[in-house]
Amino acid sequence: MVTRERGYTLMEIVVAMAIFGIFLFMIILMTAELDANRKRNPVNFMTHPQVSAVVSRLRRDVEDSQSYPSDVDKYEQGPKTLIVEVLAEDGTLEKIVWDFTKAGQVHRLTFRVGALTSQWDAYGLPDFGAQVDAYPIAGQYATRIQAVDEKGQLAIDQLFTPRKH
Amino acid sequence: MKRQAGFSLIEVLAAVLILTVVILTTIAVFTERQNRLRTANETVLTYQALANEAEVRRRDPFAQLETQPPAFVTDTSLLRPLGPFTTAVTVVAKSAVRKDVTLSIRWGNGKRSAALVLIRTDAGGGANLW
Repeated sequence: MVTRERGYTLMEIVVAMAIFGIFLFMIILMTAELDANRKRNPVNFMTHPQVSAVVSRLRRDVEDSQSYPSDVDKYEQGPKTLIVEVLAEDGTLEKIVWDFTKAGQVHRLTFRVGALTSQWDAYGLPDFGAQVDAYPIAGQYATRIQAVDEKGQLAIDQLFTPRKH
Repeated sequence: MKRQAGFSLIEVLAAVLILTVVILTTIAVFTERQNRLRTANETVLTYQALANEAEVRRRDPFAQLETQPPAFVTDTSLLRPLGPFTTAVTVVAKSAVRKDVTLSIRWGNGKRSAALVLIRTDAGGGANLW
């Protein structure tokens, strides 16, 4: 006696494949859209809050600055090192160094009377740089902060001008 | 003839309906999230450009505000991810000592825009700060 094995009909398999295909198509669509957005925007600011943290602190330092010293400790003013002098809360002068020399890292160091008093570090960042003589108007300059991501796309481009004290 | 047991038409339709609702909801949530994320990123970029232009325009002499270029003078290459965009600067004299400088960016075929208004006052010829 021949027993016939039960299985799926052609129609059942076709329907199952069609449903699977629809799911696959949707996943590909979603992934493609994610990828397109990631390529379009240099930095996802919403998922990298440390970028905003650096820019916020930089803005305050430049706006509060009294002068741009040429050097402090082993640091010299340049495209990868920003040095500003600000008036601290206790009335003494404080020199702040923004060190961008290491790719993906930003270090903020404060000096008083030549001695390091504090350090703040941020990691996983785009590559920062500074220009202290941007857009001159009537002898007043803006400080331009730029950062490019690992693909060379411009992620940050900000002008800050020291405020009157 | 032996009748095989299976799902009724109603059961199959109900299952398909539930599956459709789940799929559509997932797509809607995902699309909305993507749109909001894109909008947020675009807003960050545009406000960087607006803030940069403001840093320059706030240093222009009060008397010469109307004669300044009607588009952004600062570098706007940061806005490249937005696609085609336009920038504009308008100056409206509100009184003899006050002028409102409106900086604006339009993108997304003109459907999206961001603006920043600088209220400039006559500081007597010196550098005009806020």
